[in-house]
Amino acid sequence: MTVLYINDEEVTVPAGTSILEACRENNVEVPYFCYHPELSVAANCRMCLVEVEGWNKPAASCCTPVSEGMKVVTQSAGLEKDRSMMMEYLLIHHPLDCPVCDQGGACKLQDYAVEHGVGRGRYTEVKRLPSDKDLGPFVNTCMTRCIHCTRCVRFADEIAGTGDMGVLNRGDHMKIDGIVEDALASELSGNLGDICPVGALLDKPSHDVSRPWEMTRHKSTCTACPQGCDIVIESRADEVMRIRPLKGGVEPWICDRGRYVYDAFRSDKRILSPMLRVGDKLEKASWDDAIEKAVTMLKGKRVGIVFSPDWSVEGLAAIRLLHDIGLENPKVAFDLHRRDSRPFAFDEGLTMTTESMEQVDQVVILGSDLRQRFPILMQRLRKRANLGKPVTRIGAMHYRTNSEIANDALVRPRDWYAVIARAMDQLKVLGKTAAGMDEWMGKVEARHEAGKLLADALLADTCALLVGEEIRSHEDAAALIHGLDLLMRAAGHAEEGQDGRNLLPSGMNAQLLSAMFNGTRTAAGEVFAAAIAGELDTLLLIGSDPIGDGLFSRKAKEALAKVDLLQVGSISGDMVGLADIKLPAAAYSEIEGTFINMEGRVRVAENPLRSLGEGRPLWKVMMRLIQALGHDVPAVNLTEMREHVLTMAPDFTALKDIWFAGKAQEDFIPAQRNRKNVFLPNVAKMNAAKGLDVVGRYSMYKEGAWVRASKLLAEAGRIHALDDVIVHPDTLAEMKLQAGDLTIMSNVGAERFTVGTRTDVSPGVVFVSKRGTAGDISGETSVDLGGGQ
Amino acid sequence: MLSSDPKKVQRICFANIEVENMNKLEVAKAHGAYAFLPTVLKDFDADKIIDEVKVSGLRGRGGAGFPTGLKWSFVPRNTGKPTYLLCNADEGEPGTFKDRDIMRFDPHLLIEGMIMAGFALGVKDAYIYIRGEFLHEYNVMCAAIDEAYAANLLGDNILGTDFSMNLMMHRGAGAYICGEETALIESLEGKSGRPRFKPPFPAVEGFYGCPTVVNNVETLATVPAILEHGGAWHAAIGRPNNTGCKIFSVSGNVNKPGNYEVPMGTSLKTLVEDYCGGLQHGTVPKVVIPGGSSTPWLTAEHYDVPLTYDDIMKAGSFLGSGAIIILDETADLVAVTRRLAHFYAHESCGQCTPCREGTGWLERVLTRVDAGNGTEADLVVLNDASKHMAGRTICALAEGAAAPILSMLKYFPDEVRAKLAEKSS
Ligand SMILES: Cc1cc2nc3c(=O)[nH]c(=O)nc-3n(C[C@H](O)[C@H](O)[C@H](O)COP(=O)(O)O)c2cc1C
Ligand code: SF4
Ligand code: SF4
Ligand code: SF4
Ligand code: FES
Repeated sequence: MTVLYINDEEVTVPAGTSILEACRENNVEVPYFCYHPELSVAANCRMCLVEVEGWNKPAASCCTPVSEGMKVVTQSAGLEKDRSMMMEYLLIHHPLDCPVCDQGGACKLQDYAVEHGVGRGRYTEVKRLPSDKDLGPFVNTCMTRCIHCTRCVRFADEIAGTGDMGVLNRGDHMKIDGIVEDALASELSGNLGDICPVGALLDKPSHDVSRPWEMTRHKSTCTACPQGCDIVIESRADEVMRIRPLKGGVEPWICDRGRYVYDAFRSDKRILSPMLRVGDKLEKASWDDAIEKAVTMLKGKRVGIVFSPDWSVEGLAAIRLLHDIGLENPKVAFDLHRRDSRPFAFDEGLTMTTESMEQVDQVVILGSDLRQRFPILMQRLRKRANLGKPVTRIGAMHYRTNSEIANDALVRPRDWYAVIARAMDQLKVLGKTAAGMDEWMGKVEARHEAGKLLADALLADTCALLVGEEIRSHEDAAALIHGLDLLMRAAGHAEEGQDGRNLLPSGMNAQLLSAMFNGTRTAAGEVFAAAIAGELDTLLLIGSDPIGDGLFSRKAKEALAKVDLLQVGSISGDMVGLADIKLPAAAYSEIEGTFINMEGRVRVAENPLRSLGEGRPLWKVMMRLIQALGHDVPAVNLTEMREHVLTMAPDFTALKDIWFAGKAQEDFIPAQRNRKNVFLPNVAKMNAAKGLDVVGRYSMYKEGAWVRASKLLAEAGRIHALDDVIVHPDTLAEMKLQAGDLTIMSNVGAERFTVGTRTDVSPGVVFVSKRGTAGDISGETSVDLGGGQ
Repeated sequence: MLSSDPKKVQRICFANIEVENMNKLEVAKAHGAYAFLPTVLKDFDADKIIDEVKVSGLRGRGGAGFPTGLKWSFVPRNTGKPTYLLCNADEGEPGTFKDRDIMRFDPHLLIEGMIMAGFALGVKDAYIYIRGEFLHEYNVMCAAIDEAYAANLLGDNILGTDFSMNLMMHRGAGAYICGEETALIESLEGKSGRPRFKPPFPAVEGFYGCPTVVNNVETLATVPAILEHGGAWHAAIGRPNNTGCKIFSVSGNVNKPGNYEVPMGTSLKTLVEDYCGGLQHGTVPKVVIPGGSSTPWLTAEHYDVPLTYDDIMKAGSFLGSGAIIILDETADLVAVTRRLAHFYAHESCGQCTPCREGTGWLERVLTRVDAGNGTEADLVVLNDASKHMAGRTICALAEGAAAPILSMLKYFPDEVRAKLAEKSS
């Protein structure tokens, strides 16, 4: 620690802190432009000058480390003159744009001009006129306003990792430029508008429509992926104008998906009032009529429920109450991405925080397109790689990332057994084993060399696995995860405190769902199969869009042709026109409620937006149904709902503390660990695998009903489109086929598609873009390829 | 520009500057090059070399005059990272043309100095970053380096010892700022040449984040003599704290401009009158820019100043790179200043607010004033815009850009006003 004096006050800060940070920590105001706590120091704006006793010139506080006994002065006549000169230099080429600039009212340049500037500039020479850039759909530019702080450039280099912003030229010809074709390559590009201290880079979708002081701010949680970022929804009247990361939230950035999904709140896919089918058409109905009709579809009927995990905790508990009280033995499922519903040795959820992922010695990504699915987690891994810490990855594709991957191996889904067994071999030789490991290994004959990378990483002091969708959606996922669990035990990474067993979930609230529906749930595919087989009368979809999302869209379509559909939700998704009844439930932005993210972090939303239309919080809709089905209402307010949650999940004391003891929202809900079930590899299935393995490819701009309803994200999806069907060129060569129009044969039938090749995919795998032309095939596990006939 | 020395005073870097074909290894060897190197490699160690250089009192000849032995002693050892030695041969400071002569006439002196410095610092890879326009010098240096490799003076196991060092040439692309040591490092790393803020200093985190020493050509070319004759020998030349000889690149209104190496402490007047053939007009200069265009001006009253770092500092300027520009009564100071302002506006790297905006602004105002379109208010602008960039930026370029303007306003405000008057009358 270092003791120094700031304006005669003694302060103590960690050694190596900059003067600026020491001032900020001690609430001493020092003006600055180029400094940003999440970026490297550039020290170019020169606004942060302070005086240090004994120094003959002012020091830039952002790049000057404190030293013992240093005496810093932040206010003096000399500094005032310097600051006013800095403002004058900055403004000589700056347009007088404040009245028409979106940044106005929240602009550092404007604020400091008022505070430190002089009324009138003395510059009378020619002005610089840099031209604007097209950076794509999310970032608007007005480069005459740029003050060359290079925050955007550092963001693109250090955070986004795309490096597509840069500095050209020198002297006062210096300019910021984007090296872009259609758009910035980064899925974090929306942060540029926030990071630019002036109005040079602004949010494009909200450009020229509102001013900062007109906005109401609502703290909320993004549910577009299980990261559950802390967000602030900014609205004018009831209209959402933009979404931004919460200042001081857990992560400093949000991704473009979470930021621009808001136009879906007003899309024509919203369910805003109860609807009833009359003949071919859905017509608006009263709540009473709709509920009455719904009862006829549920009472005494064989019902299958498929719901979205992204509802609030209270809403999910209400679904469970409807399931238990209102219906007779319904089938229930919620994960559209899971084929195997047997309990996993370690269930969905992380054992560590995204932030702490920076610290572990080794991180291994197993089968995940992390950048598309978890952009913020990927950004943390990127930071880690920048610190020189390795990331190992094994999967079906060298998925494009913005980070360095130290070791990268390609495997087919069917190879996972051999990968795990190979790693077990290596640990065993070193005398590391776990009860049951021999038996597991004994079932697998083959060995895959990628297992060496896994074992090498496991030998580090600390190691975190990030088990992704390629394993989670495997038909034999329970066995694979059991194998990984054995490995982690053997390597000593399963103990509390350094448990590295992270299974990436497909939705929010995974920890709670695992506790609340364990033993009750089935795989979504089984629900649809039951419907197809005539074993169900009604399908109750609660926020779930099985046609648009997940692995079962073909089955879901078939099922819906057979049974009645009651849809409860905020948005129709791809189910448009299929439902017999629709009941509106309020969107995540419109409710008071609790969310748990994949880290187990609890967030309670409090000042929601007003509900558009007649939507009610989901828990109320469920209670209404229970009542209409002739039962006592188990909860009449949110407090009672929360009590039910605690009855269903008694171990979740963190929720209790937060709800009822007013504790800060910093306790974590642990993910389910150490289940006793033993699942060995399914030898018959393992040996029967033939043809080519299918891996569905996911675009962050297209997955999820909200995301698909957003026009803004659709535009990004168009720009960053994924190839429809790709295979490794060697695979085609072996089959004596050529890229182009080929027949894909599967359970779906035989159909012709244009097949492309790429060398960054595993041989023996067919990658199918889920939202592409061949989307239906993405739910299959294997296919055959044939010539163009 | 090479001028002979009428007084036969002691010279160090220029000791053999007049020898024909000194750039050839054979000739250089005949004049003592590399003669003492085996002794250094066998009998000296890092500490002894650094001590000798410290005792010698050698101060960096690139501009800042930082004690060389001290700089070397800051380099952390055993970091597990390589240590780099970079020779700054960018020589861009207006008025400076001394390093060029060392390189084209006596390249082996620089190579030998670098081998010795590299040996002291445990360097495996050393670079000479040479000004892009110096194509001839580059070719001479390359040929000399090839000869040195062939003679096992560079490369693996130099002269049969355990010491191995490579020496590479790198040509700049014409930017003055790349002479600033951290911009030089950035440029050598393949990035655009923009200075880094300090700390960290290059000695600790320099080229590719590794410990790095950047020294000027003349500094490194002085090392062989110091090691051969001893630090004390060097310290006895010149004045205390300002030891040894210094090459002065004299230009402007003198009869015999050129490079002159003289012991430190020689007076300016002696240099001008005894070596440079005196002033072109008059008996005293009007303006003396003592250390390259970036240093504040001196005037007639300083004509007697002894040429040392300390004396020139006392007079209000810096010895800098030793580029002395003499201006006499015939010089139009506003035009001179405008031309210099153009240079700095063109060469500013653009990252710091005051330098980026200030240098352009100043150039435009001076252009207007010089054209007779100035007003009294422009004097205030010139003063404010110069003063507040000096010392408030990442590197010293801004200070250098401010120096001529502030000097002109300090000593010759009336010359500026005379130009304004032209307009208003
Ligand atoms: C704008 C600017 C330009 C410079 N140009 C040169 C140069 O061309 N050659 C040089 O040796 N030093 C130059 N320097 C000084 C170097 O930064 C550095 O101090 C020097 O190379 C150190 O070598 P020395 O210790 O041997 O003097 C320049 C400094 C500044 C601020
Ligand atoms: S565009 Fe904005 S963030 Fe980028 S350099 Fe200019 S002012 Fe800074
Ligand atoms: S990372 Fe996930 S939770 Fe965070 S903003 Fe993006 S979609 Fe929302
Ligand atoms: S002072 Fe000028 S040249 Fe030096 S770093 Fe700053 S802008 Fe670049
Ligand atoms: S904040 Fe220190 S120079 Fe910009």
